[in-house]
Amino acid sequence: MGACGCVLAQKELQKMNTYKAPRDKLACILSCCKVINNFLLSASISSNENPPGADEFLPVLIYVTIKANPQQLHSNLLYIQRYRRQSRLVAEAAYFFTNMLSAEAFIRNIDAKALSMDEMEYEKNIESAQAVLSGLSTDSDDMPMPSQSHQSVWQLPRSELGEPRQEAFNPNKHQGSASQLQFPPQSFETKSRSEGLHAKDQVSLGKVPSISDLEDQGGFMLMKEEKVNQVFRDFPYLYSQSGDLTISDVDDLLNKYKQLVLKYVCLSKGLGDAAPSPPVSISQSRAQNLAVTEKETKASRAVTLNEATDRDINLKVGVTDAVFVGEENSESKLAQGSDSNVKNDQRECLDQAHG
Amino acid sequence: MARAAGNRNIQAKLVLLGDMGTGKTSLVLRFVKGQFYDYQESTIGAAFFTQVLSLNEATIKFDIWDTAGQERYHSLAPMYYRGAAAAVVVYDITSKESFQRAKKWVLEIQRQGNPNVIMVLVANKADLDTKRDVGNEEGEQYAKENGLLFFETSAKTAQNVNELFYEIAKRVAKAVPLRPGGMKLHRRSQERGRRLFCCSGSSPFGSDDCNINSW
Repeated sequence: MGACGCVLAQKELQKMNTYKAPRDKLACILSCCKVINNFLLSASISSNENPPGADEFLPVLIYVTIKANPQQLHSNLLYIQRYRRQSRLVAEAAYFFTNMLSAEAFIRNIDAKALSMDEMEYEKNIESAQAVLSGLSTDSDDMPMPSQSHQSVWQLPRSELGEPRQEAFNPNKHQGSASQLQFPPQSFETKSRSEGLHAKDQVSLGKVPSISDLEDQGGFMLMKEEKVNQVFRDFPYLYSQSGDLTISDVDDLLNKYKQLVLKYVCLSKGLGDAAPSPPVSISQSRAQNLAVTEKETKASRAVTLNEATDRDINLKVGVTDAVFVGEENSESKLAQGSDSNVKNDQRECLDQAHG
Repeated sequence: MARAAGNRNIQAKLVLLGDMGTGKTSLVLRFVKGQFYDYQESTIGAAFFTQVLSLNEATIKFDIWDTAGQERYHSLAPMYYRGAAAAVVVYDITSKESFQRAKKWVLEIQRQGNPNVIMVLVANKADLDTKRDVGNEEGEQYAKENGLLFFETSAKTAQNVNELFYEIAKRVAKAVPLRPGGMKLHRRSQERGRRLFCCSGSSPFGSDDCNINSW
């Protein structure tokens, strides 16, 4: 079955939760089955084999269900069973609904034997998948949820996100997904959020990654996952926007800003005032541009530090928290105007710092 | 279960069981497509079929449910054969293993299924007689012992395929009582639901009851 057909069938299933009427939910299942059947049929015609039957259909339906991981599947199925008019849940609809029920039952009770694989290997894979999942869900608890990354999740087409998410996740598809189903859906959401963040990184760096690119990078990103979480803990406001901040954050930010200025002044005095810090040197060219415009807007401002230091401070602040610059200083327009530039710089800095 | 209504139109669910590759699907396809008229192309396709057979005594509409034969899906089977009027257990005469599997199916349905279900043992791929691994007598003997119908068929040559389904249809027609009882009760209760409401339009709280001027 072609990848595109598989995705199509998955989408039909994923739609189920968005409908309210039992009839509509059932229609989603039926159209998913139809898509699968069409693909099996065309595959059998092109390979000159017998027309497909249940022997071929059920495994594909199970695979599609695992890949789609539809929201609230169990509840939706029970809901249809209970509230779809019994005189309508007959014949073909009843048959394919039963297939869906049995696919769900199979996934729910999945074990090594059902997958015809070694018991030890199965356990090992399940454990590692669970470790990844639980690690992610605890990490994301104390991670501030930047609205920016939310947006990016919705901006990207679902299929593009869906593919790498699962591929990267599970070295072995069946097992990984089996364990996925044992977990509450929140953990996937956080997962897809952070994945979305990565995707956003990719986009903002100017690349347009294809699905297979994303899949390849998925594994690598997973390795970096811990480091990213570290970044969030160290620089909690790094990806925030002004809308995310509350009044109570202002105190915190002001404090951090003062500390930062103090530390920077001390550091730069210790270094003899001239040596630029590594992050600055990376984005030096952009800093020059920024500084030129800054000079003009800051003409009236009382400056206690010399020009060079001031410029660097602004950059440092930018690294720690781009929004802060915009809020505290008079050059908010400037900060917003060059928002994307600053963010690119930040990322470059971070990439440097975290390898 | 089979349902009858009015002038003996019977709807019957028929479930196909058997190991993978025994030709369950081909058997049904031969039956469904081989008929002079196709009653109704199923809208979704593979694995579910309907076919109407007209007998003297009744018209039978079969809903034919195909099942996945792989051993790993064995535990899911009860969902499929629940409520079936007939169960067709298929094995491949060139495979001893599929015969053993068929015996397992028979045993399971006898134990868990509806006791009135019409059970048929089908030895498929009769055209591959040279590669035969399960003797005709062997299957027939087992069927006799367990009170099953027995057919040796070939989906490829259409041998015995129509006979198989006609025999099932006859049995279904015989099994369904002439006077359906439960259905009528259901209809009546629906009609009773359409009772007229009695709306006199008079309010229990007339203006006299809450006359402010009285005090």
